[in-house]
Amino acid sequence: MGKSLLHTPEGVRDIYGEEYARKLFIEHKLHETIRLYGYRDIQTPTFEFFDVYSREIGTTPSSQLYKFFDKEGNTLSLRPDFTPSCARCAAKYFMDETGPIRLTYSGNTFLNTSSLQGKRGEVTQMGAELMMEPSVEADAEMICLVADALKNCGLTDFQITVGEVEYFKGICAQAGLDGEVELRLRDFISAKNYFGAQELLEQQKVRKDQAKVLLRLADMVLGASDLTEAARLAQNDRSLWAVERLEELYRVLQQYGTDKYVSFDLGLLSKYNYYTGVIFKGYTYGVGDAIVTGGRYDSLLSCFGKKGPAIGFMVVVDDLLEALTRQGLAPSLREDGALALYEEGAFPGALRYAQEQRAKGVCVELSPVKDRAEAVRFAAGRKGKQAFFFPAKEAPQRL
Amino acid sequence: MDEKRYLTFALTKGRLAGKTLSLLEQIGISCEEMREPGSRRLVFVNEAQRLKFFLAKGPDVPTYVEYGAADIGVTGKDELLEEGRRVYEVLDLGFGKCRMCVCGPARAKELLLHHEMIRVATKYPVIAKDYFYNKKHQTVDIIKLNGSVELGPIVGLSDVIVDIVETGSTLRENGLEVLEEICPLSARMIVNRVSMQMETERIKRLILELRRLLAEEA
Repeated sequence: MGKSLLHTPEGVRDIYGEEYARKLFIEHKLHETIRLYGYRDIQTPTFEFFDVYSREIGTTPSSQLYKFFDKEGNTLSLRPDFTPSCARCAAKYFMDETGPIRLTYSGNTFLNTSSLQGKRGEVTQMGAELMMEPSVEADAEMICLVADALKNCGLTDFQITVGEVEYFKGICAQAGLDGEVELRLRDFISAKNYFGAQELLEQQKVRKDQAKVLLRLADMVLGASDLTEAARLAQNDRSLWAVERLEELYRVLQQYGTDKYVSFDLGLLSKYNYYTGVIFKGYTYGVGDAIVTGGRYDSLLSCFGKKGPAIGFMVVVDDLLEALTRQGLAPSLREDGALALYEEGAFPGALRYAQEQRAKGVCVELSPVKDRAEAVRFAAGRKGKQAFFFPAKEAPQRL
Repeated sequence: MDEKRYLTFALTKGRLAGKTLSLLEQIGISCEEMREPGSRRLVFVNEAQRLKFFLAKGPDVPTYVEYGAADIGVTGKDELLEEGRRVYEVLDLGFGKCRMCVCGPARAKELLLHHEMIRVATKYPVIAKDYFYNKKHQTVDIIKLNGSVELGPIVGLSDVIVDIVETGSTLRENGLEVLEEICPLSARMIVNRVSMQMETERIKRLILELRRLLAEEA
């Protein structure tokens, strides 16, 4: 026992003190922004039936879920993300609702990732979902909300990359690729692995011109950021429609004034298979991967028995905090309030002071000390607080 | 931004690093400090071009790049397959060419034709497992070794090995041969996902120039 109990399992850790204060602060800032857009809080359970996150729903691979059983033998799983839960809630509680539903959530999510890769098994996500609203204005609202929330947290240098899954799916359908091949190709394209994609397309004997368009999505250099060019290359209605949607989206983003943070990449695809339309990721310096991911998932609600479009995003709060810290932008939080340190026998006076101050809304930390010297040491460890020493025999002194 | 950010390269210690530097020099990117013999420094800087370079073990290069400790990395395809890190694989640099193979004594060929269980010694357990489980559908017992993998079949630790083959001379000297080829390998350039979004112009220019150069050489 003893020392061996001090460790946490791999992938999880304690967050405390100043770091946690900063984390709470940015959570507050994010929430404040999301609330300004009219989103209402929802709390979903930490674990759900495994089927809520199953392969059909298209979320995290089963091997990365924490699974366990309840007393009746049902398989349960800790949530890897919130979106399926929110969709389930919407289907359950808003079954007859036809107008827009705006939800926001915040909480910890769990992934059983491979060991010793330095990946966290538990992170805090905050996000928002806008359901039953198919318009391009809804897409724009999500992206602008992300930009506003990041700015409100103090981030200045960030980039939101926007894609449209339908563009890719349209070309795959035209090329007659089956689901399994499409999934593999999606992995190659999202990893920008040009050679992998090329090999796969050759194996599948995809027509040259169609292969060229697909390969371009995986090509970082030529890229697929120019919408006019993308429209020219696409030769099917689905893909063309996707490009039109992005062009419309761009016009709305201009009205919001968020266009300068946004760039397009039609090769942007997600590992979550439930995305059906516009998808986006937010990037900034200091962390190795996107800190924001989001997109449209128009068919997910129907998995739970309610038909309707939806779009959402989530911020990985821990990554955002890390990025802010590395960029020197972390909020510097000054401790405020007062310290009331009393010698033996001076408790009544110190308590009276503490209660008066607390009634006024000032935070007071009340603690016994041996003598003045100890009080001074104590106060030195609580910089930014007003320290008062209550000696046994004399009047209180400010330190 | 007032001051241009450093672009950091993680290179694989040894032959690959030398070849990568020569290639980069041809497109006007150099690092004099790195050419100094006997230097014990770990990080080398080219202040004028705002570049940093460091050397790492091959399997660690994708790790540095995934976490953004390096924006760009150069390492073998074998390490990328084995590590499975989430990075953009943007260029085949064409050098460091070799093959990942199943090797063993000639009589072991027979063992690969059936689905019976065999023992495989390798430095690359992920690649070996993927090949036998997902491509050949053969049950195998994988033994991870850290070097001189050829010893496996010779001393009777394993039936076959999965290893990199360049010329095949070590194999031949020890009475082993290539039984099956898993995939061709070569040096690859990888890029961090965030760097690609945030430093798009600089990195794109670099890749374009390298691509042009490689096309000329080919």
